[in-house]
Amino acid sequence: MVDRLKQEYEGKVDFTIHLDGADEEGERIAAMIGVRYVPTFVFVNSDGSIKGTDIGAIGEAKMRQRLDSLK
Amino acid sequence: MASRRWMIWAAIAVAVAGVGYLVSRPAGPQGGVVSGDELASLFAGGARVIDVRTPIEYEGGHIPGAENVPVDQLPGAAGVWDREVPIAVYCLSGERSANAAGYLTAQGFTRVYDLGGGIGSWKGDLVTGAQAGDRPGAIATSGRPRMIEFSSDT
Repeated sequence: MVDRLKQEYEGKVDFTIHLDGADEEGERIAAMIGVRYVPTFVFVNSDGSIKGTDIGAIGEAKMRQRLDSLK
Repeated sequence: MASRRWMIWAAIAVAVAGVGYLVSRPAGPQGGVVSGDELASLFAGGARVIDVRTPIEYEGGHIPGAENVPVDQLPGAAGVWDREVPIAVYCLSGERSANAAGYLTAQGFTRVYDLGGGIGSWKGDLVTGAQAGDRPGAIATSGRPRMIEFSSDT
Protein backbone atom coordinates (compact mmCIF):
# COMPACT_ATOMS: atom_id res chain seq x y z
CA MET A 1 0.00 0.00 0.00
CA VAL A 2 2.78 2.42 0.91
CA ASP A 3 4.67 1.61 -2.29
CA ARG A 4 1.59 2.34 -4.35
CA LEU A 5 0.95 5.64 -2.59
CA LYS A 6 4.60 6.54 -2.96
CA GLN A 7 4.22 6.30 -6.73
CA GLU A 8 0.91 8.12 -6.71
CA TYR A 9 2.23 11.03 -4.63
CA GLU A 10 5.56 11.27 -6.44
CA GLY A 11 6.55 14.92 -6.81
CA LYS A 12 4.07 15.93 -4.10
CA VAL A 13 5.22 14.08 -0.99
CA ASP A 14 8.61 12.50 -0.32
CA PHE A 15 8.48 9.03 1.18
CA THR A 16 11.24 7.71 3.44
CA ILE A 17 11.36 4.34 5.16
CA HIS A 18 13.74 3.81 8.07
CA LEU A 19 14.22 0.17 8.95
CA ASP A 20 14.84 -0.15 12.68
CA GLY A 21 16.41 3.32 12.70
CA ALA A 22 19.39 1.73 11.03
CA ASP A 23 20.67 4.96 9.50
CA GLU A 24 21.82 8.24 10.97
CA GLU A 25 18.79 10.30 10.03
CA GLY A 26 16.45 7.58 11.22
CA GLU A 27 18.14 7.37 14.57
CA ARG A 28 18.12 11.15 14.96
CA ILE A 29 14.46 11.57 14.09
CA ALA A 30 13.45 8.56 16.18
CA ALA A 31 15.25 10.03 19.18
CA MET A 32 13.82 13.48 18.56
CA ILE A 33 10.20 12.45 18.42
CA GLY A 34 10.43 9.44 20.71
CA VAL A 35 9.66 6.60 18.33
CA ARG A 36 9.30 3.52 20.51
CA TYR A 37 7.63 0.98 18.32
CA VAL A 38 7.09 0.10 14.72
CA PRO A 39 5.49 0.82 12.47
CA THR A 40 5.31 4.51 13.22
CA PHE A 41 4.39 6.97 10.51
CA VAL A 42 5.51 10.58 10.76
CA PHE A 43 3.90 13.20 8.57
CA VAL A 44 6.02 16.29 7.98
CA ASN A 45 5.01 19.57 6.36
CA SER A 46 7.30 21.11 3.77
CA ASP A 47 8.64 23.54 6.40
CA GLY A 48 9.86 20.61 8.50
CA SER A 49 7.17 20.89 11.13
CA ILE A 50 5.55 17.65 12.15
CA LYS A 51 1.89 17.49 11.27
CA GLY A 52 1.25 14.30 13.18
CA THR A 53 2.20 10.72 13.84
CA ASP A 54 0.43 7.40 13.64
CA ILE A 55 1.51 4.36 15.56
CA GLY A 56 0.70 0.91 14.31
CA ALA A 57 -0.76 -0.17 11.01
CA ILE A 58 -3.07 2.37 9.41
CA GLY A 59 -5.45 1.95 6.53
CA GLU A 60 -5.10 3.45 3.10
CA ALA A 61 -7.94 5.91 3.60
CA LYS A 62 -6.35 7.32 6.73
CA MET A 63 -2.95 7.41 5.09
CA ARG A 64 -4.38 9.38 2.18
CA GLN A 65 -6.12 11.75 4.57
CA ARG A 66 -2.85 12.37 6.35
CA LEU A 67 -0.91 12.87 3.12
CA ASP A 68 -3.51 15.22 1.70
CA SER A 69 -3.44 17.31 4.87
CA LEU A 70 0.25 18.12 4.52
CA LYS A 71 1.22 21.62 3.49
CA MET B 1 -21.02 -23.58 66.83
CA ALA B 2 -20.07 -19.96 67.67
CA SER B 3 -16.69 -20.45 66.04
CA ARG B 4 -18.25 -21.79 62.86
CA ARG B 5 -20.69 -18.88 62.74
CA TRP B 6 -17.79 -16.43 63.09
CA MET B 7 -15.98 -18.10 60.19
CA ILE B 8 -19.04 -17.78 57.99
CA TRP B 9 -19.36 -14.09 58.77
CA ALA B 10 -15.64 -13.59 58.07
CA ALA B 11 -15.98 -15.28 54.71
CA ILE B 12 -18.95 -13.08 53.85
CA ALA B 13 -17.01 -9.96 54.86
CA VAL B 14 -14.07 -10.90 52.64
CA ALA B 15 -16.38 -11.58 49.73
CA VAL B 16 -18.12 -8.23 50.15
CA ALA B 17 -14.78 -6.44 50.38
CA GLY B 18 -13.60 -8.18 47.23
CA VAL B 19 -16.68 -7.20 45.31
CA GLY B 20 -16.30 -3.63 46.56
CA TYR B 21 -12.72 -3.57 45.39
CA LEU B 22 -13.63 -4.78 41.94
CA VAL B 23 -16.48 -2.31 41.63
CA SER B 24 -14.57 0.76 42.74
CA ARG B 25 -11.22 -0.23 41.20
CA PRO B 26 -9.28 1.71 43.83
CA ALA B 27 -5.76 2.83 43.04
CA GLY B 28 -3.07 0.64 44.50
CA PRO B 29 0.11 -1.19 43.61
CA GLN B 30 -1.72 -3.13 40.94
CA GLY B 31 -3.38 -0.12 39.33
CA GLY B 32 -6.89 1.27 39.30
CA VAL B 33 -8.64 4.60 38.94
CA VAL B 34 -6.50 7.56 40.00
CA SER B 35 -6.93 11.29 40.50
CA GLY B 36 -4.99 13.97 38.69
CA ASP B 37 -2.63 14.37 41.64
CA GLU B 38 -2.03 10.63 41.78
CA LEU B 39 -1.36 10.61 38.06
CA ALA B 40 1.25 13.33 38.53
CA SER B 41 2.95 11.21 41.18
CA LEU B 42 2.90 8.18 38.93
CA PHE B 43 4.39 10.22 36.10
CA ALA B 44 7.15 11.49 38.37
CA GLY B 45 7.84 7.89 39.32
CA GLY B 46 8.43 6.84 35.74
CA ALA B 47 5.00 5.70 34.63
CA ARG B 48 4.14 5.83 30.98
CA VAL B 49 1.19 8.15 30.39
CA ILE B 50 -0.94 7.47 27.34
CA ASP B 51 -3.53 9.82 25.89
CA VAL B 52 -5.96 7.49 24.13
CA ARG B 53 -7.92 10.24 22.40
CA THR B 54 -7.67 11.10 18.73
CA PRO B 55 -4.67 13.08 17.42
CA ILE B 56 -6.90 16.12 16.89
CA GLU B 57 -8.06 16.03 20.50
CA TYR B 58 -4.49 15.50 21.63
CA GLU B 59 -3.21 18.41 19.59
CA GLY B 60 -5.85 20.63 21.16
CA GLY B 61 -4.37 20.15 24.63
CA HIS B 62 -2.76 17.25 26.46
CA ILE B 63 -0.88 16.45 29.62
CA PRO B 64 2.79 17.38 29.14
CA GLY B 65 4.83 14.33 28.25
CA ALA B 66 1.86 12.12 27.48
CA GLU B 67 2.09 9.91 24.43
CA ASN B 68 -0.79 9.87 21.98
CA VAL B 69 -1.96 6.38 21.15
CA PRO B 70 -5.64 6.47 20.15
CA VAL B 71 -7.57 3.64 21.71
CA ASP B 72 -8.12 1.94 18.37
CA GLN B 73 -4.36 1.83 17.85
CA LEU B 74 -3.53 0.30 21.21
CA PRO B 75 -3.44 -3.30 19.98
CA GLY B 76 -0.83 -2.36 17.41
CA ALA B 77 1.27 -0.26 19.74
CA ALA B 78 1.09 -1.98 23.10
CA GLY B 79 2.39 -5.30 21.89
CA VAL B 80 5.99 -4.22 22.28
CA TRP B 81 5.63 -2.23 25.49
CA ASP B 82 7.23 -3.42 28.71
CA ARG B 83 4.41 -4.93 30.76
CA GLU B 84 6.20 -4.26 34.03
CA VAL B 85 6.36 -0.49 33.56
CA PRO B 86 3.43 1.32 35.22
CA ILE B 87 1.12 2.73 32.60
CA ALA B 88 -1.57 5.37 33.01
CA VAL B 89 -4.24 6.16 30.46
CA TYR B 90 -6.65 9.03 30.06
CA CYS B 91 -9.17 10.39 27.60
CA LEU B 92 -11.81 13.11 27.61
CA SER B 93 -14.39 11.63 29.95
CA GLY B 94 -12.92 8.37 31.21
CA GLU B 95 -14.90 6.03 28.98
CA ARG B 96 -12.26 5.28 26.36
CA SER B 97 -9.52 5.14 28.95
CA ALA B 98 -11.52 2.61 30.97
CA ASN B 99 -11.72 0.43 27.89
CA ALA B 100 -8.01 0.96 27.27
CA ALA B 101 -7.17 0.07 30.86
CA GLY B 102 -9.24 -3.07 30.60
CA TYR B 103 -7.50 -4.03 27.40
CA LEU B 104 -4.02 -3.43 28.80
CA THR B 105 -4.82 -5.38 31.95
CA ALA B 106 -6.08 -8.28 29.85
CA GLN B 107 -2.84 -8.13 27.89
CA GLY B 108 -0.82 -8.73 31.03
CA PHE B 109 0.26 -5.23 32.01
CA THR B 110 0.80 -5.46 35.73
CA ARG B 111 0.13 -1.89 36.82
CA VAL B 112 -2.49 -0.05 34.80
CA TYR B 113 -3.95 3.22 36.04
CA ASP B 114 -6.92 5.11 34.65
CA LEU B 115 -7.41 8.84 35.19
CA GLY B 116 -10.92 8.96 36.61
CA GLY B 117 -13.14 11.57 34.99
CA GLY B 118 -10.81 12.12 32.09
CA ILE B 119 -8.49 14.99 31.31
CA GLY B 120 -10.67 17.40 33.28
CA SER B 121 -9.32 15.78 36.44
CA TRP B 122 -5.83 16.99 35.57
CA LYS B 123 -5.18 20.22 37.45
CA GLY B 124 -1.84 21.04 35.89
CA ASP B 125 -1.08 22.85 32.67
CA LEU B 126 -1.84 21.36 29.30
CA VAL B 127 0.25 21.72 26.19
CA THR B 128 -0.96 21.92 22.62
CA GLY B 129 0.47 20.58 19.41
CA ALA B 130 1.08 17.26 17.74
CA GLN B 131 2.96 14.49 19.47
CA ALA B 132 6.35 15.55 18.24
CA GLY B 133 5.59 19.18 18.97
CA ASP B 134 6.66 18.72 22.56
CA ARG B 135 10.23 18.52 21.40
CA PRO B 136 12.07 21.28 19.63
CA GLY B 137 13.49 20.84 16.21
CA ALA B 138 12.31 20.30 12.71
CA ILE B 139 12.92 17.65 10.12
CA ALA B 140 14.82 18.38 6.95
CA THR B 141 12.78 18.40 3.78
CA SER B 142 13.44 18.93 0.09
CA GLY B 143 10.81 21.66 0.10
CA ARG B 144 8.06 19.11 -0.26
CA PRO B 145 6.11 17.42 2.55
CA ARG B 146 7.43 14.09 3.78
CA MET B 147 6.02 10.85 5.05
CA ILE B 148 8.54 8.96 7.14
CA GLU B 149 7.87 5.37 8.07
CA PHE B 150 9.74 3.63 10.86
CA SER B 151 9.46 -0.03 10.20
CA SER B 152 11.07 -3.32 10.94
CA ASP B 153 12.93 -5.40 8.39
CA THR B 154 11.59 -8.60 9.91
